[in-house]
Amino acid sequence: MTADFAIEALLRELAPQVLGTLVRRHGQFDACEDAVQEALVAAALQWTSDGLPENPRSWLVTVASRRLVDEWRSESARRRREEAAATLEVAGAGHVPGEDDTLTLLFLCCHPSLSPPSQLALTLRAVGGLTTQEIARAFLVPEATMAQRISRAKQSIKVSGLPFALPPEPERADRLRVVLQVLYLIFNEGYTTSSGPALQRADLTTEAIRLTRLLHELAPGEGEVAGLLALMLLTEARRAARSSADGALVPLTEQRRDLWNSAQIEEGVALVTRTLGKAPVGPYQLQAAIAAVHDEAASPEDTDWPQILALYEVLEHVTPGPVVTLNRAVAVAMVDGPRAGLAVLGTLDADARMTQTHRLEAVRGHLLELAGDTAAARDSYQRAARMTASVPEQRYLTLRAARLPR
Amino acid sequence: MKYMIMMFGDQASLVETRSREWIVEMIAFMTKVNEDLTAAGELVAAEGLADASQAKTVRIQNGIPVATDGPYAESKESLAGYWIIDVENEARALEFTSKIVAFTGGATEVRQVMDAPPEEYRSGDG
Repeated sequence: MTADFAIEALLRELAPQVLGTLVRRHGQFDACEDAVQEALVAAALQWTSDGLPENPRSWLVTVASRRLVDEWRSESARRRREEAAATLEVAGAGHVPGEDDTLTLLFLCCHPSLSPPSQLALTLRAVGGLTTQEIARAFLVPEATMAQRISRAKQSIKVSGLPFALPPEPERADRLRVVLQVLYLIFNEGYTTSSGPALQRADLTTEAIRLTRLLHELAPGEGEVAGLLALMLLTEARRAARSSADGALVPLTEQRRDLWNSAQIEEGVALVTRTLGKAPVGPYQLQAAIAAVHDEAASPEDTDWPQILALYEVLEHVTPGPVVTLNRAVAVAMVDGPRAGLAVLGTLDADARMTQTHRLEAVRGHLLELAGDTAAARDSYQRAARMTASVPEQRYLTLRAARLPR
Repeated sequence: MKYMIMMFGDQASLVETRSREWIVEMIAFMTKVNEDLTAAGELVAAEGLADASQAKTVRIQNGIPVATDGPYAESKESLAGYWIIDVENEARALEFTSKIVAFTGGATEVRQVMDAPPEEYRSGDG
């Protein structure tokens, strides 16, 4: 079991490097990606039974190159030209370019010309080394659908003629923002549970953390990359405590803090501490800092709410938006009392962006309950329950409403 | 985000009120719609339901569940078929549905499937 796990981890780490090597040589992202997938499957079988080859990366490059040649051979029209090229390529298999390939791949898979669902799927396959079947299962769609989504994304890259190169410096910040968004979406998907029993989707959060950690190693100077990694770790640290045995959501204040993962908290806090003040501040660093304040409190009463409020004020300044205001309202309520928090919420009532989400009513219910207005709190919880598209959240809100007197 | 798109109505009245050409065209249209969804990597499921006249309804009678023949609602109000699609956003789901409605002319309902992540994990500065 342990050996299998180690092999899988190694394969996932090598996948983008091998793909990068092939694309650099042949330029055909589409065909190379298929060949690498086949090589990964072959390796998983062979390495498990025969043990690791001496140089796993070269082994993968050689096998994937051979697949590519086979593929080309089967296309008789191209035969002559491609065969000559491919023979040359395989001969040079010993040379392996640097780690920038992984970064380049990440930028390519998260290209803004692709739709977010395509970016997620392609990143998980080409950079994460997951199989189409695994990705389909994680997103709860049929395998054929996911295969088509990936193939379409690869087709768009082919048609657009994007070079296999890092984005030029002036575009880099914007492109990095998209990469971070994709990684954060993958992380969030990992927490999606559908109706029925809680689904095994923890793998996606683990994968998102692994990829973000990889990106952080490749771009250690980027404050927002470090911030996102810290945010993921500090959120993931509460996983075991955030739902009860029957799958019901447990709010932060009621979580058993001894179930929190102290190693992840320690790593996340260290990252935030190291980053804040050194790099230009951004929303991920600030959200990570807020998560760190929560995670460092031994009990809900020990939470440093004035500190959280100050951080939300900075966050609202950096990225103004109704959701940030909503969160600030909670902090205001904890510092200055529920009525003060409700007053902040009132400023959002006319915001059209809030009419489609349950969050405003859920927070209002909570603050009304704190203020002792149970009848109004009940109404708010019920309205929120009707608006959410999350099963555990709907159950939570319904139960919250049901336990208050009419 | 997943959406369920529901068409209502019954086949009997369809056959009675529409021309043969229209029905042939409709079948071709639906086949094409499903092919396009598949090619886009958006199709999760698509099913048509047997006519509502063939339905059974189970209800409590004298304290126990009993099955009886027949639809539970006006046939023009009963579910005739559905798609479940996985798309980028609601706008895309509405765009798809508009294409269906432009052809069929029948009101069609779009409902989000409950599969959003709980709030704590929703990226958001919306």
